[in-house]
Amino acid sequence: MADKSKLGMEFPVRSIKVPKNKIAEFAAAVAQLEDIDQIKEIYRDVDAAKKAGYENIPIPPTFPTCFPFWTGGGLMGIVNGVGADLSKLLHAEEEYEFLAPIYAGDHISCTMKVAEMYDRGKKERKGWYIQVTVLVTEAFNQRGELVLRARTTFMER
Amino acid sequence: MTIDFDSIAVGDSMPSYTSKPITRAQLARYAGASGDFNPLHTDETFARAIGLDSVIAHGMFISGIAGEAVTAWIENKYLRKFSVHFLSMTQPVNLDDFENTKDRATVTVTGTVTDKYEENGEKRIRCEITVRDALGGRKLKGFFVAALP
Repeated sequence: MADKSKLGMEFPVRSIKVPKNKIAEFAAAVAQLEDIDQIKEIYRDVDAAKKAGYENIPIPPTFPTCFPFWTGGGLMGIVNGVGADLSKLLHAEEEYEFLAPIYAGDHISCTMKVAEMYDRGKKERKGWYIQVTVLVTEAFNQRGELVLRARTTFMER
Repeated sequence: MTIDFDSIAVGDSMPSYTSKPITRAQLARYAGASGDFNPLHTDETFARAIGLDSVIAHGMFISGIAGEAVTAWIENKYLRKFSVHFLSMTQPVNLDDFENTKDRATVTVTGTVTDKYEENGEKRIRCEITVRDALGGRKLKGFFVAALP
C-alpha cells in the first residue's frame, strides 16, 4: 500500500530531448498501425507539419503519458518511489493541460510531485476500500516555458 | 478541413470513431511506445496471478485511441485540455476465438459539444467524450477543451 509519508515528495528533475522516431512510434501504436509510413504525415514529416501550421513535428495528444516514465525512472521507479504495490495498482484518471506546443527535438525538463494521497471507502469493506495517489508532472521546454501540466491518478484496490 | 468556432453548436456530435479489434501484439507495441511496461498488459501469467482472466489494455492505450478520434476532427494544435476517467477494463481479442471475443476488444469513441465560451482571449469549446466497446460496456469518459479559430 502506498506510503503516505511520500505525500509532497518530488522526483528528481530529468531532462530529455523529445525523439522524432518516438513520436512516430507512439502515433503508430495509438492508430493501431504496423508501419510508421501509414501514420498521419504531421507525425513523421517536418515539411508536412510546417504546412499544417506547426513549427516542427508535434506530439499526439496523449503522448505526454511518456513523461512520468521518463522522469520517474520507468514504471517501477514510480511504483517504488511512492511505495505502491504493483499487483494492486490501477490507473484511474489522467488529465493534460496543453499550455504551449511540444515538438520533436524540444528539450523537456519534467518536475513530478506526489500531490495527493488519500483513502476512499472503509477498510473493513473488502473491494470498496481503495488508496488513491495523484502525481502532478510539469514539463518545461528549453526556453523555460511551462508547456504541459499532467495529473495522473492511480489507485490500489 | 478546418473547423471554426462559429460552425460548431452546443449539442453537436463529434464524428464517431471505431477502433480495430485490440490485439495482444498492439498492447506490446503500445507498451514499447509509451514506456508503460506494467506486466498487467503483456504478461498473461502476471494477469492471472493477480486474479484477472487475461491481460488488459492500458487505460492510456484506450485514451490514445480517443485522442486519435478527437484529432481526426479537431486539429492537434487547437487542443488545450484532455482529461479521461477510466470506467472498466478492456480485454484484447483472442485470436484463436476471434468471433466470440472481437466485440469486447473493439471500441467506439463518441463525443458531444457541451459548452462554447471565451477564455484567455480564445474561443473555446468543451466536448464530453465516451468510449464504449461493441457490447455496450463503458470503458472511459472524459472531455477535451479546444481553442478554435
